[in-house]
Amino acid sequence: MNDNRRQVLDMLAEGKINSAEAERLIAALERGAAPAPRDMGDVKYLRVLVDANDEAEGPTKVNVRVPMQLLRAGVRLAGVIHDRARDQVNEALRKEGIPFDINKLTPDNLGDLVEQLRDLTVDVDNERAKVRVFCE
Amino acid sequence: MKPEILPPLSASLHVKPAGWRFGLRLWLPLFLLWLILLPLLLLALPLLFVGSLIFRFNLWRSLRAANGVLAATRGTQVEVNNRESRVFIKLHGKDMS
Repeated sequence: MNDNRRQVLDMLAEGKINSAEAERLIAALERGAAPAPRDMGDVKYLRVLVDANDEAEGPTKVNVRVPMQLLRAGVRLAGVIHDRARDQVNEALRKEGIPFDINKLTPDNLGDLVEQLRDLTVDVDNERAKVRVFCE
Repeated sequence: MKPEILPPLSASLHVKPAGWRFGLRLWLPLFLLWLILLPLLLLALPLLFVGSLIFRFNLWRSLRAANGVLAATRGTQVEVNNRESRVFIKLHGKDMS
């Protein structure tokens, strides 16, 4: 039992707070002690699994493991792209209906993106193939 | 040199065509390839420098970024398994991971 929780229980025992207040305080302490979100170091690889069944070629299984560091390196490489070329990329993305500004993608804010990818699982399942993409 | 800025130093390649009793297991020393390419890069540096002045890009940053992409491929695994063959490729770093 940690000191904060003991303090709450002492206050309850001394009658300084009632049981409902003690419960609220302990719940707040537990929330505060919840593990911090994992950083990029925890997500090491992007896994792509493909299980296809083609009539002509028969069953095919593909298993690809891509290091997440490659994503970071790719963003750094994107930083080298000339401003004019970046504008063209943004314009092309806008034409495709993707309102994304690649200028905003920097190694600094990549951690947030990867954090969101951590819980991402993409499952595509149809007659001919099953595709699964997830982080590990 | 920090291990995280080194490109993959070796690769494992396993190939087993259907019908073969034993597969082929190869260990490819990629560091030899980098040793061969390094003098070529040094020879190309003046040209790249002139190119960076003409097209106005930061040569040092570009080289670092390109090396970063190469280094980040360490740990990549590709496995393809179908009726005709089974192929497995893995790029290793310094610690063979």
